[in-house]
Amino acid sequence: MKTYPEIKKVLVANRGEIAIRLCRAAQEEGLRAVAVYETPDAKNRHVHIADEAVWIGPGPRKDYLDIDRIIWAARKSGSQAVHPGYGFLAENPKLAAACEDAGLVFIGPSASTIQLLGDKTIARNLAEEAGLPTIPGSGILPPGEQGKQAAVEFGEKYGYPVMLKAVAGGGGRGIRRVDTREELSSQIGLAEAEALSAFNDGRLYLEKALIGPRHVEVQILGDTYGNIIHLGARNCSIQRRHQKLVEVAPSLLPKSIEDAVCAAALAYARHVGYINAGTVEFLVDADGKFYFLEINTRLQVEHTVTEVVTGIDIVRRMLRVAAGRELDVSQEAVFCRGFAIEMRINAEDPKNGFAPESGKTVAVYNSPGGPGIRLDGMVYQGYKIPTEYDSLLVKLTVYGFKWDEAVSRLKRALTNFRIVGPKTTIPFYRSLVSEAEFKSGSFDTGYLDRHPELFNYPDQEEQVAKIARLLSAIHHNQKNPFAL
Amino acid sequence: MPIRIKPGDDVKSALAAIRSTDAYFITNTARDLSQSDFKNRILAHTDILVAPEREAAGYFSLEITGGASVHVDMLRKQINPFERLALLRNLMPQTLFQTLCRGVNLFGYRPYPENVIRLTVQEFAKFVDVWRVFDFLNHVPNMIPVFEEVQRAGVFLEPSICFSTGPEHTDEYYVKKAGEIIDVTGQDILLALKNHSGLGTPARIGQLVSSLLNAYPELIIHYHGHNTDGNDVGRIVAAVTAGAKIVDAADHAMTGFFGPPPILTVLDVLQEMEYRAEAIDRDAIIATSDKLKKERPSYAVFESQFKGFDPTVHTHKLPGGAMGSSFEQAVKGGFLDRMPEILMKELPKVHQELGNFWSVTPGSQILWTTAVTHTLSGKRYVNASEDLKRLLLERYGPFPFYRPADEIYEAAFGPSWKTTLVNDCGIEDCPPMDIGAEKKTLEKELGRSADTNELVLYLQHPRDALDFFRFEEEYGKTFVLPPSIWLKDGGFDQGEVIDFTDNMGKLHQIIFSGTQDLNDGSSLNYLYVDHHLEAFLHHAEDSGQPAAVKKELSQSEIAALAEMGEVRASMGGVVVQVPVEVEQKVAEGDTLVVMEAMKMLNSLESAIAGVVSEVAVTKGQQVARGDLLVRVRPLRSKDNTDNP
Repeated sequence: MKTYPEIKKVLVANRGEIAIRLCRAAQEEGLRAVAVYETPDAKNRHVHIADEAVWIGPGPRKDYLDIDRIIWAARKSGSQAVHPGYGFLAENPKLAAACEDAGLVFIGPSASTIQLLGDKTIARNLAEEAGLPTIPGSGILPPGEQGKQAAVEFGEKYGYPVMLKAVAGGGGRGIRRVDTREELSSQIGLAEAEALSAFNDGRLYLEKALIGPRHVEVQILGDTYGNIIHLGARNCSIQRRHQKLVEVAPSLLPKSIEDAVCAAALAYARHVGYINAGTVEFLVDADGKFYFLEINTRLQVEHTVTEVVTGIDIVRRMLRVAAGRELDVSQEAVFCRGFAIEMRINAEDPKNGFAPESGKTVAVYNSPGGPGIRLDGMVYQGYKIPTEYDSLLVKLTVYGFKWDEAVSRLKRALTNFRIVGPKTTIPFYRSLVSEAEFKSGSFDTGYLDRHPELFNYPDQEEQVAKIARLLSAIHHNQKNPFAL
Repeated sequence: MPIRIKPGDDVKSALAAIRSTDAYFITNTARDLSQSDFKNRILAHTDILVAPEREAAGYFSLEITGGASVHVDMLRKQINPFERLALLRNLMPQTLFQTLCRGVNLFGYRPYPENVIRLTVQEFAKFVDVWRVFDFLNHVPNMIPVFEEVQRAGVFLEPSICFSTGPEHTDEYYVKKAGEIIDVTGQDILLALKNHSGLGTPARIGQLVSSLLNAYPELIIHYHGHNTDGNDVGRIVAAVTAGAKIVDAADHAMTGFFGPPPILTVLDVLQEMEYRAEAIDRDAIIATSDKLKKERPSYAVFESQFKGFDPTVHTHKLPGGAMGSSFEQAVKGGFLDRMPEILMKELPKVHQELGNFWSVTPGSQILWTTAVTHTLSGKRYVNASEDLKRLLLERYGPFPFYRPADEIYEAAFGPSWKTTLVNDCGIEDCPPMDIGAEKKTLEKELGRSADTNELVLYLQHPRDALDFFRFEEEYGKTFVLPPSIWLKDGGFDQGEVIDFTDNMGKLHQIIFSGTQDLNDGSSLNYLYVDHHLEAFLHHAEDSGQPAAVKKELSQSEIAALAEMGEVRASMGGVVVQVPVEVEQKVAEGDTLVVMEAMKMLNSLESAIAGVVSEVAVTKGQQVARGDLLVRVRPLRSKDNTDNP
C-alpha cells in the first residue's frame, strides 16, 4: 500500500473563482492554502483569500500552464499537495506525473488514468468493455484521402448528421456537426488543421449525431480503498456552441433512466478503477436511450449543483482521498434532495456573440442573498475584466425543494444582482428563466437554437442606476443640463 | 344625473347631450397657464400629482397637450409626449384630453407634409379626445387635413376662429368664417372662439357669440380667452350669458398673470347669476390648487420677471403666451428700456401695416421680431427676417384683409420686389415625405427598431427627438422626479436625501455623500444608491450641453465679434442653411447663416466685406448661444487683385 505524506499545505494551481473554491475547501479542512499568480492577477481575490501566495511569472496564461513553475511554487511554499482545479493543467497527465516525481500529492486521479482516459478512443473502448452503450463511431480516421474515404463510408452506413471530433479535443472544443456527404468531404481537412493547431494533434474521429439529445453527466468519487460512489446526475443541456451555460442537478430525466445512467457511470468508474473525483458524460436521446460520451478526470465547473442537492462537499473529499483517507460516504448515504441550478455570470455581451467585456471595470457589485443562494465568485467592486483571462464574474447556484421553486428563486436571485460597468449575461439569463420550455425543464441541447428570441431581452440597467447618474450630472453642472 | 362626456363616447350623441342641457361646461387649460416658458415647464410629475383631483372635478376636458408642449416635453422635460398622455390617461379614465393643434404646422412652427400630418393626428388621436385646431390667418384650407383625420378617428373636432379687434374684425367676418368651417366639417363640431390675447370687452365677446348663434343656433361655442388685462372673467360671463356652452379657465394656484383666469372665480360668479356648471365638483377644484400651491415655488425661476396684469394688451395685442418671453428677450437683449416704445408704438404700427391678422403663433413671433428689429435698428423692413419674407410672399396663406403696402415689399426684397412677388408668391407646396425612409434613418441612428410613436416624434422634431431617445437610454424614465429635483439649482447638499418611486413602482433612496476633485480636473460624485455607495466620474468639460454652460458671451460681446467678422449664434437654435463656403467672397449684408431660433428663421449677415475663412457649422446642426458659426476675414489687397 502506497504511503502518503501528511498534507498541511496545498498549492492551488489555478486562478479566479475555482482557486477561491479550492482555498476555501483547504482552509475548512484545516490546511493552509497557497495561491499562485501571474502578474496581471496580482490584485485578484484568490491571492488574498489564500493563506500565502507565490508569484510565478509575468504571464499571461503561460506561467499557469508551466508545470516546472507550479512544481517550483509548491516546493518554495513547502506545499505537500497540488490541486489543479479545472482548465489549465487539470487534465494534463504531465503535471500529475511531475508531482509524483517531485514527491508531491496530485489531487486527482493518477497520471496514467488521466493519460488513458484523456484519449477519447481509449475511453470509448473502455466504455464498451464495461458494457456501456456508445454512439456509433468510426474510430480514429487515418490521415489524408484514406481518412476521407473512411469518413464517407461511415456516413453512408449510419446516416447524417454526424459529429466530427478531434481526438484531443474536449470541453466543447474541436467538435463540429456535419449534415451532408459534401460537407463532410470539405470539413475534414479544415477540422484536421484546426485540431493540429489547437491541440497539437490532428487526429479525428466520427460519431453519429443524435437528434434532440440531452447532455447528462454523473459525478463520481473513488478512493484508494476501492470504494467508488456516484453523487447523482447533472443536466447540462443548455449549451452555446457546445459550451455549457446552465447546469442542473439532478438530471430532470425520468427516475428509471437516471438510475440506469448513474449505474452505467459507476460501472465505468469501477471498470477503470477510478480514484478521486471525475465525471462521466452521456447523451440521452428523446426516447431515453443513453450513450457514453467521455469522462472528465477533474473537478467540473458545475460541481456546485451536485454539492447543493447532495450536501456533500466534493472538493474536501478530493483532498481527503488524495491524502489516503477512506471515503466517509457510502452509496446508500447519498441522497439527492430537491433541485439546484447553476448559471455562470460572465462579463459578456450575449447580444454580441457573448463577446467578453474585457478592460471594463465593475463600478458597482451587489449580490443576491437569502435562502437557497450559493455564490462562487471572484468579482468585487472595482474588479477589472481581464483581457488575459476568462470573463467569469461569479457562479450563481440556487436550490429549490421543487423544480418550480428553484426556477423562481433563480429569477429572484438574478433580479437582485446589481452590476454596473460591464455588460453581463444576467439580462439574458433573466429572459431565459421566464421562458416556458426552460420552466418546464424539458430542454435539450438544441434549446438555444430554438429560442433566438431570448436574445431580445430589455436593457439590463435598472432605472435607479440611470437616475442616480442623472442626479450626479445635475450636481456636477449645478443645474439640470437637460432642462435648460 | 350630471352629464359627463367620457373618452370613447360617440361624438354625435355627446354633442346632442351638451346642447340638451342649459348648464355650461368648463375646460381646465393646464397646458396654457401661459407666461410662455412657465407653462411649458410644468412637469408630468405635477400633472400626475393632481390627476385624481382633476379627474374628480368633472371638467368637460383637460387641455394637457399640444402647442409647443410636444416639443418641450422632449427638449426640456425629457419625457415621451405619448407616454405622458398614457400615464395620465391611466389616472384619469373619465376626463377628455384636449390638444391645441396649429393646423398644418401641427405642434411646430412651419407646415408639415400632408402624410406626416395625417400620421401624427392618427397617433395622437389614440390619446387625445378634443382637437382644437387653428390657423393664425384663419385660413381654413390650412386646417383641412387635420379636420379630416380627427373626424376619421371619431373624436371631437374643435375648429377655431382666432379673434382680434379692429375695423376689419366684424361679426359679419367671423360669422362668414364659421360658415366656411362648417361647409368643410359639417355641424358635428365644437367651435372655439380663440381669444389668445384676451382682447375685446365683455360686451364685444357677448355680441359676437350672439351673432354666431343667430347664424348657427345648433353650434356649440367653446370660449377661450387670456386674462392678460385682468378681465377675462368678464368676457367669460358675457360669453356664457350669450349662449357659449364651454369656457376655458385654469387652476387658481397657477394663475395670476397672462393665462386663463381662475376656474373657481368663473364658477362662483356664474353661480350667483344662476348659471350652473355641468358635472363640476367645487371641492375637487379647491383640492387641486391646494396641492399645486406647494409645487409652484419649484417653478419660480421660470415665472415672468414682471408680475401683474397688462391692460395695455388691447394696444399691442401680444398673445398671453408671448408676453413673458418678450420681456425675457428684452432683459437678455438689453433693450428693456425700449419696451414701452416697442409695445405701444412700433408693434401696433407693424401689426396694422402687415394686415391686422391674428397675433398668435407663428404670426405673433413675426410681428414681435419685426417691431424689435425696427426699434433697435431704426430701419424699417430692410432687414426682413426669413419668416417675415415668407409671410409677405403668402407662404402661410393669403392675407385675410389686405396686403401690406408696396413700400414694405420694396424695403424687404429690394428693387426687384415686383418680380419676386409675381414669380414667387403663394402657399408653399410641401411634398410628401418618404416616411419609410425616415423610419430607416431613425432606426439606424438608434441602433434598434422604432415604434410608430417614436417615428411621429422624429418626423416633427428629428434632432430633438433623437436627443431625447438617447437621453432616455442613458438616464431612464426621469419623469418620476419632482420639480424640486429636476430643476435643482446649485447642486445637492452633502447628506441630502432624495426619495423617489421609479416608473415600476419601486421605492428608491439616493443620498448625496460628497464630491472628490481629482487633479486632472475631473471629479467624482459619491452617492448612496439604495444604501450602496457608488461613484460617478465627471470629466472637466463633461456636461449635458457643454456649450450652453461653457460659453457665456453676452449679446454685446457677440455683436462686437460680428463686427470683426466672427459670426456667433446670438441664441440657441438650429442652423437651417449655410449659403456660403470657405474662400467665398462676401459683401457687407450678405447672408452667412440662416438659423431657426425661438420659433423664428433669422438670417445672420456679414457685418463686413471679406472672404469666408471658416464655416464652423453644417445644416441641421444645433448650436448654443455664443457658438461660432462662420468666420469672415476682411478683404486684403491680394483678394482684389485675384479677382478684379
